Amino acid sequence: METDLVLVVEDSDEDIEAIARAIGRSHPDVRLEFLRSGSGVLPRLTAGGHEPPGLVLLDLNMPGEGGLDVVRQVRARGEYDGLRLVVFTSSENQAEAEACYAAGADSYIYKPINFALFQSVLAQTLDYWRSREPNVTQIVVPPPGESSAQA
Amino acid sequence: MEWAAALHRLWGAAVTIGSREQLAELVLPPLQELPGVRAVWGLRHAPRGDGVLAYRWKGLPLTSDLQELAERLAPGQAGPVQVIDATGELRECGATRVVAARFEQPGEAGGTILVAVDDTADVTFVGQCLAQVVEVTHEAVRRLSEVRGDQEQQVRDALLAEASLQMDAVLDTEQTMYRVPRMAVPAIAEGCLVFVYEDGKPVLRGAVHVDMRRLGALLRDPDAVRQLAEPAEYALELRARGRVIGRLVFLFDRPAERIPPLSFLRDLAARAALAIDNSTQYEQRRQEVMRMQQHLLPTRLPRPAGLELAASYTVGDRVLEVGGDFYDVVVRDDGTVAALIGDVCGRGVDAAALTGMARHTLAALLQEGSSPRRALTRLNSRLRLNGSWRFITAAVALLTPHDNGWAVEWTSAGHPAPVIMRGGSDAARGAGGGVPLGILDLPQLGSSTLRMEQGDTLVMFTDGLTESRDGDGLMFEQDGLARALDRLRDAPVQTLVDDLSSSAAASDDIALLAMRVKESSGD
Repeated sequence: METDLVLVVEDSDEDIEAIARAIGRSHPDVRLEFLRSGSGVLPRLTAGGHEPPGLVLLDLNMPGEGGLDVVRQVRARGEYDGLRLVVFTSSENQAEAEACYAAGADSYIYKPINFALFQSVLAQTLDYWRSREPNVTQIVVPPPGESSAQA
Repeated sequence: MEWAAALHRLWGAAVTIGSREQLAELVLPPLQELPGVRAVWGLRHAPRGDGVLAYRWKGLPLTSDLQELAERLAPGQAGPVQVIDATGELRECGATRVVAARFEQPGEAGGTILVAVDDTADVTFVGQCLAQVVEVTHEAVRRLSEVRGDQEQQVRDALLAEASLQMDAVLDTEQTMYRVPRMAVPAIAEGCLVFVYEDGKPVLRGAVHVDMRRLGALLRDPDAVRQLAEPAEYALELRARGRVIGRLVFLFDRPAERIPPLSFLRDLAARAALAIDNSTQYEQRRQEVMRMQQHLLPTRLPRPAGLELAASYTVGDRVLEVGGDFYDVVVRDDGTVAALIGDVCGRGVDAAALTGMARHTLAALLQEGSSPRRALTRLNSRLRLNGSWRFITAAVALLTPHDNGWAVEWTSAGHPAPVIMRGGSDAARGAGGGVPLGILDLPQLGSSTLRMEQGDTLVMFTDGLTESRDGDGLMFEQDGLARALDRLRDAPVQTLVDDLSSSAAASDDIALLAMRVKESSGD
């Protein structure tokens, strides 16, 4: 992930709240931006003046454009190849997972019912993609006399 | 007094922090405030080996060129506060001595705090303060480890519960093999593969990874896949009922301390093995039942001139025993066609034996020229003679060529009435009647006649069709059958039987036999 901004595309109020709570606890440094439908993703990415996200967390089944449509649209444009697309769904349909992979999704993650598990699944997914960023090292040079926030 | 207050605040805050990341911000500043302190450096040691995981500081920044110096000054093991002479760059910035202390916490990253002081500092006092801060830090790390342990246990418990639920929800082998790794990734591992032994060789039957592209690349390399199936620490045996049925392989891409304990992975593997074994056994049994069912039915139907025949047999959902439905068609030398259908009550081996006997008895007698009434009566006598408690519903349609069509004589022993589909009008039910065979010494049979013209179709079936229920609990006979027949009125006869049987949500077996009078009779 190039930035700590995560775009969450989710239509369910309960899931939005749970995702915000889970990531807020496990990764307080990660900023979240929410979109309630798939149709808003491409306009958000292409609009000037907005910080690009490093990862998009996508619900699979949403009214209108679902997660798979978003993956196809984003991957159709070469400039977002570095953007991590994570499909987060309770669907058990293996064909859907394969379709998402074929379309260019990076992860297809199971959405658990239990909150502790839900939080762990999201935390591990973020940890994985944050640790695998190619060519980006976190360097912090604090001004003299100041403490380090990160190392 | 000032230090006492700072220490008090420190203890209060140390028990509320939620991550190790917050610790340095908490414990280093009060030390930096002490008189004569030039810098406070914190090192977080790797739980294994000599590595340092993180560098923190207050005052003189612990930049990369100073990190080696800090590591050299750090005590090699936990113990009381030490005072060391400052060297190198520390001297250049006015520090003369370094007060150092290290702590360890089993299973966790230990830490060192180095306090660089100048000549004005009261080294004894700084040493006392550092010892107290180390005590707070140690306690905070212990507490964080405990909380994390609890959380991880909670996640593992939830995973086992959810995985059991998911695995129990399906009896389909493919689904089970997919659900196991899907549940495990990424909560407990970055990747998970299921190998099942087939003819002694491991066959990959399920694979999930948090990084789908990495998994894709891995699966394209047969050597790598083969290697993964080899015994290894995280390639656990799938053992069910004393047999090793496969291997559950976990792939980790996380710090060693975040890898779940082997005992937990074994527990998950044990549950997965049971679920996989259950679904495999179920699948095998179902295949056997379906094969045996095939043996009880004619392998092919005759092709009498002027008629088109089609039949189908649908095994009910979740049925693991051979059902008792049967059908057959015989053509006599004189061109008469006898179609028979029946249903032995109950399931299983006994019912299957009776099914075979009933079909062959009826078919043989009808073939030899016995009337349907006589054939059914003979079968009834056999059942009564055997003392079987099972009864059989059965019916025979005897079709005799007549003018351009066929005369049909329907004889029924408690069997559902057939459907007659006539070109251009709605389908209608024929007459049923009679009492099932095996109940009365003298069978009571219902008989009726009808005529079939060109294009007409007679559909015979067992009660699995009419008594199947839809999601609302409504029987197919009440509404679905008429609608399906209407939709299928022009369909080829094989499509008709296939479609009819799949239209009904079969919980019981369904046998269907349809006969249509060809448009140009005598072809």
